[in-house]
Amino acid sequence: MVTREDIENIAILSKLFVAEDELDDLTKQMQEIVEFADAINNAPDSGEEFDNINNLSNVFREDEVVESLPSEEILKNAPEQAEDHFLVRNHA
Amino acid sequence: MKYELVAGFETHVELSTKTKIFCSCTTAFGGEPNTHCCPVCIGLPGTLPKLNRQVVKYAIMAGLATNCEIAEVAKMDRKNYCYPDLPKAYQISEYDKPLCEHGYIQLSNGRKIRILRIHIEEDAGKLVHAHGDTYVDYNRGGVPLIEIVTEPDFRSVDEAREYVEKLQLIMRCIGVSDCRMQEGSMRCDVNISVRPEGSDKLGTRTEIKNMNSINNIAKAMEYEYERQVDVIENGGKVIQETLRYDDASNTTSSMRGKEDANDYRYFRDPDLVTILTSREEVEEIRKTLPELPEVKKERYVEEYDIPEKDASLLTKYRKVSEYFDEAIEGLKTPKTVSNFIIGSIFRRVETEKDKESFDVAVSPKQLNELVKMLEDKKIQNNLAKKTLEKMLDTGKPCTEFIDESDLGGVDDNALAQMCQSAIDSNPAAVADYKGGKEKALMALLGNVMKQSRGKADAQAVRAKLIELIG
Repeated sequence: MVTREDIENIAILSKLFVAEDELDDLTKQMQEIVEFADAINNAPDSGEEFDNINNLSNVFREDEVVESLPSEEILKNAPEQAEDHFLVRNHA
Repeated sequence: MKYELVAGFETHVELSTKTKIFCSCTTAFGGEPNTHCCPVCIGLPGTLPKLNRQVVKYAIMAGLATNCEIAEVAKMDRKNYCYPDLPKAYQISEYDKPLCEHGYIQLSNGRKIRILRIHIEEDAGKLVHAHGDTYVDYNRGGVPLIEIVTEPDFRSVDEAREYVEKLQLIMRCIGVSDCRMQEGSMRCDVNISVRPEGSDKLGTRTEIKNMNSINNIAKAMEYEYERQVDVIENGGKVIQETLRYDDASNTTSSMRGKEDANDYRYFRDPDLVTILTSREEVEEIRKTLPELPEVKKERYVEEYDIPEKDASLLTKYRKVSEYFDEAIEGLKTPKTVSNFIIGSIFRRVETEKDKESFDVAVSPKQLNELVKMLEDKKIQNNLAKKTLEKMLDTGKPCTEFIDESDLGGVDDNALAQMCQSAIDSNPAAVADYKGGKEKALMALLGNVMKQSRGKADAQAVRAKLIELIG
């Protein structure tokens, strides 16, 4: 059962502001989402546990350096940048 | 009332791989900001992490060197938290199936510090707070770490100090990390609580972060112990919180949590497949482990008759013990080599960092040649010492400084003559010695050494002088 407190907590974790009057609606919607996802529990299965769909293990990379991207490329999508750094404004 | 300190350690050790844990960017320390990055380590959508084989191997080596069991099945999980040092808003770590578990490190007082687990994970980026804003450099983001978690087994600051030193030695010896606390390649968080002596219930703990040296760890623990005892003595309650240690003021202060609710919502990382390690692979890796410092130290003491203190110094730095091992090849007196290293060479290699790299002008082979001459009694100890200094100055072999006339030492007749001459020309010193001043003999000894141009054996001269003075 999803509670109002759950929604409040999820909002904090997601760094979202949720107004008091939105809480009831969101609680109901979240409950519906969880129920929808829960449907998978009713799907028939062989009862066999498996690790991943491709049944893969030990996929490794060798420890060999490949050249990194230039910092201009790396910073290209940064909302803000300064002195070759990603810049995070302090909104506190 | 007396209070007992109870502490546990969480230690992050940066692995010395060439590349990051999930991409092929270099792990080199420093570098211009955001120049060791790619779409994987800055967390762009649609990228796929691929695990570095060497990270798994190093973590298993670390586990074996600390007596851990190696998991046959391990997996990686996402630890979710939102903070600018993590571009994906989650850190890839291991939650319920770490690579190594149930190890221990034994301390000199016989107590075992149990290691709960060692898991692999990625490091976060570096944040610089300036002008009220935060500047982010992701060069360090994705550098491989192992986190070594102990049980709350520490009962004193000294135990903590020894543990960190031992851990450092072990990791350096097996070559998985350089463990430089100043550079952040080894970082310790300490969980600490106090309880009335004799109680077996754990008190409320606090966690201290941000200590960048062993001394700071000790100071922070001492401070926090006193603070908690104070709180309890004054009728208060210790609050469970994370504290930051401030070196300048030697105090701890509350750190605002990264997350208001400590809820990491761990779940399996679907991008990364299971890590299976066969028993054969574990044994293969075990075979490649070098002799651990503790074992090596004991062997130096027992086999070579080297004092424990000296053996500790030799085994404290991997390069030093390698140098020693090479220099004693075929010699009868490894102890002499040890004395030369600790007495003469260490004086020129002062800092921790220099001892770590141990870049010495005299090669182990050159030192070996010198000690061989000493063993064959071709030269005497003091001449050998002087020669070593010259070798250290120039990097040239000992044969450059020892000429024919130096060889062979001094025969007994010549020695007796020199001693007699010293006695004859220093009546005052002889009188002083006879009057009970032991030190007066040094003047005579010096005289003889001068006459023999350093070739005479000081012990023999001493004995002869005493005999002649009667």
